Amino acid sequence: MKTYDAIVIGAGPGGYPCAIRLAQLKQKVLCIEKENVGGVCLNWGCIPSKALISAAHLYEKSQAGAAMGIKVSGVELDANKMQDWKEGIVKKLTGGVGSLLKGNGADVVNGTATVVGPKRVDVTRADGSVEQFEATKAIVIATGSTTIEIPTFKFDGDTIIGAKEAVSLRRVPKRLMVIGGGVIGLELGMVYQAFGAELIVVEALPELLTGVDPDCTKIVERKILKRGGTIHKNAKALGYEKQKDGSVGVKIQADGKEQTIVVDTVLVAVGMRPSSKGLGLEKVGVTVDQRGFVPTDKFCRTNVPSIYAIGDVSGPPLLAHKATKEGEIAAEVIAGHKAEKDWVAIPGAIFTDPEIATVGLTEAEAKAKGLEVSIGKFPFSVLGKAMAMNETEGFVKIVADKKTKQVLGVHIVGPEASTMISEASLSLEMAAFLEDLSLTIHPHPTLGESLMEAAAHAMGAAIHIANR
Amino acid sequence: FNEKPLATPATRKLARDLGVDLRRVPPTGPAGRVTKDDVRALEAPE
Repeated sequence: MKTYDAIVIGAGPGGYPCAIRLAQLKQKVLCIEKENVGGVCLNWGCIPSKALISAAHLYEKSQAGAAMGIKVSGVELDANKMQDWKEGIVKKLTGGVGSLLKGNGADVVNGTATVVGPKRVDVTRADGSVEQFEATKAIVIATGSTTIEIPTFKFDGDTIIGAKEAVSLRRVPKRLMVIGGGVIGLELGMVYQAFGAELIVVEALPELLTGVDPDCTKIVERKILKRGGTIHKNAKALGYEKQKDGSVGVKIQADGKEQTIVVDTVLVAVGMRPSSKGLGLEKVGVTVDQRGFVPTDKFCRTNVPSIYAIGDVSGPPLLAHKATKEGEIAAEVIAGHKAEKDWVAIPGAIFTDPEIATVGLTEAEAKAKGLEVSIGKFPFSVLGKAMAMNETEGFVKIVADKKTKQVLGVHIVGPEASTMISEASLSLEMAAFLEDLSLTIHPHPTLGESLMEAAAHAMGAAIHIANR
Repeated sequence: FNEKPLATPATRKLARDLGVDLRRVPPTGPAGRVTKDDVRALEAPE
């Protein structure tokens, strides 16, 4: 039986950094992966979706140049070529992860892991052979999550699809229905809408992007409608019937009324489910909660001291950067360092058009905590750089404690929101006050100035808008 | 006497407002930072 200091199950954005960090800290480490290294994020999540989104953005911009005096005609999308380009990026990145693991001295084995003891893992390879491994210190569960399937909309890989297929389509559906108005549904739905698909969003709850500042969501909704899309809220997709021409008639219930909408493709994006089943966790006494998440303490430890859990499988938010941070923390704890989860906030970036990015408390969350807040808001419509880019939708909104002026949350909808949120995250981690943001000189003309101005606006001292 | 004490812009502003020389303030904040309370504690009682 091969022995390691630590065994990491899963090579996604949680598992592979964990294995690399363990190796950096001179631990003998094995990383087990049953599919491709890089996990969901690299293979069919974050990276592929962002590649398609950037292509969609270019496609749209290329046709919107008339206002700037740029005349373009006959812009065409070759979906096949776009997919080949995307595949190339994925290949390059996953190859890079493999090299990083190897370069740091981490061993990688391809197969399905079963936890058979607090420090024992069996790996079943593709040919059915089983190899046994032992960890002297710890096992890290980094098995991620999988797409939730609705019984009435079983995936067929072609007409009824999940995110995995949606980032690999080699055609643009004429009519696309997205079941689930969350991050994945809106990001991918808007990609195909930009390429000319008619988009229909069906959301069971009263709001799209539940939990996100509704002012931000409104801007994105407006864009979907402006492009000819339809949004059904408080609506349920009941089932579908195949039509003769290959399309599907989807029966939905909205406002108590039933109606049938004919579409070509249905993207089911109602969420992700933690991959905690079939690992043998319950057998070795690891607690798994009702939703399938594996609860952990601030050291990423489960209730079994030698078993750690990180990333999607250990609970929300289901974000790659959260998984990576937990991977690093778990590795350091296992190697005997004083590490723990101690972040102020985890930023979220939503790559809709325009982008939404958010960190810390929303106005509603702060008020629910009984805090008195000051709100600062700065619209991109009056920002020189945004005008120069011809992308003036959206705003920056800052939520601060009215008494102390400490920044509690930042919510951005608009161009490059995902980039700008990093500064806001740093502000929260540094326990910045509104003045810290407004007194920091931001270069002009840049989108980042909007953060400085929003902070000033919260204090009644913005220069480029009225301070009301 | 530190050349440049670690303090956020807001703390530096408070020190200016209260007439406190930041370099004379014993820091109690994280990573040797001077906090607003550190500045207030040194405020000359006049």
